[in-house]
Amino acid sequence: MTVKVEVIEGGIPHNKIMIAGIVSTLVCLYLTYLNVLTSTEMFSFFGGLAVIAALIWGSHTIKVLCSYGIGTGVPSAGMIAFGSGVIAMLLATKFGFYAPIVAAVLAAVIGFILGYVSNNILNMKIPAMVQSLTEMAVVGALTLMGFAALITGGFTFAGLTTGHVTVMGMTLLTHEQSFLGGCLIAVAFLLGAIAIQHPFNACLGPGWQQDRMLMLTAECGFLSMIAAAIMSFALISTGSAIISLLIAIIGWVYTYKEYMVLSKRDAAAWLDAKPIPEVEGH
Amino acid sequence: MEHIVFGIGITALTGALATVAGAAEDTESNIGSQGDPNSQVQLAPQMGFLHRIFNKAVAGEPPAYGLWCCLGAGFAWAFMAMQFNAVLAIVLGSVLAVFVQGVYATTAYVGRTASLSKFGQPVYVDILKSMTTVTMAHAFIAIFATVTICYLINTALGHPFPLPLLGLIWGIALGAAGSATGNPYYGKERQYQNQKFGAGVPISASGNIVRYAEAGERNSLDNGWFTAKIGGSASGICFGLIVFLELWRTILFEQIAAGWGAIVVGVLIILVFTVIDRYIEVWARKNYGPYTEAKEASS
Repeated sequence: MTVKVEVIEGGIPHNKIMIAGIVSTLVCLYLTYLNVLTSTEMFSFFGGLAVIAALIWGSHTIKVLCSYGIGTGVPSAGMIAFGSGVIAMLLATKFGFYAPIVAAVLAAVIGFILGYVSNNILNMKIPAMVQSLTEMAVVGALTLMGFAALITGGFTFAGLTTGHVTVMGMTLLTHEQSFLGGCLIAVAFLLGAIAIQHPFNACLGPGWQQDRMLMLTAECGFLSMIAAAIMSFALISTGSAIISLLIAIIGWVYTYKEYMVLSKRDAAAWLDAKPIPEVEGH
Repeated sequence: MEHIVFGIGITALTGALATVAGAAEDTESNIGSQGDPNSQVQLAPQMGFLHRIFNKAVAGEPPAYGLWCCLGAGFAWAFMAMQFNAVLAIVLGSVLAVFVQGVYATTAYVGRTASLSKFGQPVYVDILKSMTTVTMAHAFIAIFATVTICYLINTALGHPFPLPLLGLIWGIALGAAGSATGNPYYGKERQYQNQKFGAGVPISASGNIVRYAEAGERNSLDNGWFTAKIGGSASGICFGLIVFLELWRTILFEQIAAGWGAIVVGVLIILVFTVIDRYIEVWARKNYGPYTEAKEASS
């Protein structure tokens, strides 16, 4: 038995966000393939945009799922999204050009199995569970792939496991200085897992508003993109990393300001150094 | 022998760093009302108790500190890959991680409070400005100390895991230590000083947290000041012991029976602590509980 604890309707329907999310994420991921076609790393920033698109979709999925009393906190939803997504993402990187599509399909299968297990075997019986866990696994896999593309410039297994070190003028191949070898995937995992759950976790309550939550998701996405872009200086050319960093900073400043405007709109009052307002009866 | 002496020296240093990290982490999370005390801060306005307590619910402490420390370590790793000096890389990495922490803190407070508009809870800009900066300062100490521990484990002790993965593991451990040790002191005692000591939180008192201070209205800096004394130091000892004993048993006993020596000693340490914990629990129950007085008080 579960009870839907919050009934908040209105705004853009979830299916529309889901379709827009998956299409724009895949398009952005494939735009990073321009790096291979043009032999540069300048288009890595599209990986960051893929991350933001996927996160916006994912945070709305979390809202759909966590509107039911699922018995665990909202952050757990972010963890399971990336925990199931990372398996699909790593396996899919072996498929070269087809990696993003393979990742989405594999993640959907893993998410569906997890949803089935939680609903039918663990008997959680939450109506949105199977669909939400399927969606979130896809979001997790594509977000990690977006981070990988942003930090290394590509999403193939070879690109994620090899890096270069320059020793006395000679360039040597190394596995330690890479996305997987340096375990930057752990950073990407947590950056995504916190960014996906934070918007709903921070905006939940009776005054929840869809536009405010989605603006916060975009803000979290750009903030994560700033962090990933700084780390990408170690693995891609400086010029390309600067392009990613600039786009991330501009996007972050804009979304942060917009989020504050929306919060000011929704807040009961916006006070500076004022005492607690008088409430009747207390 | 020199190898062991060197290892024990590093172990002592990491233990000291971990103690500082644990104390800073608990104080930071208490000023931000993070972890389980958060639910009461969140609930209070809904019960009609408007307050000036900072409420930054980013996530539970373990995932949140997992991110901050992992991020700090990731930045440090990237800067070191760019041939930065290690100390500079760790400091810069921690500063950038703290920036992310501060941004998350502000959006969490503003978002949660805006969603409570129905109950009239205002957003206090002065609270946002003064509390966020103080939590950032504490978080910097916690992250810097933890990333330094990871760097020492990786470089001086030769641990095979890369820096970001160690940051993730020890960040989660740090958050868990602070959450388990320090939080009850804030959530059960400080927020409910108006209830009988050790009585827990009766449902009728839910949300009725202490909102007024010795002078004026209480804010989260008062809570940080209060919990830094015992909650913070207890968390520090907890995390310090975890890091120290973990490395100590590895350094001294790893050579015995191909690594099994360290595992056996680890199990022994757990048993010893179980006995100590049980003794303290029984002692505390005998001296402070069970709460037989409650019936008289309510009649």
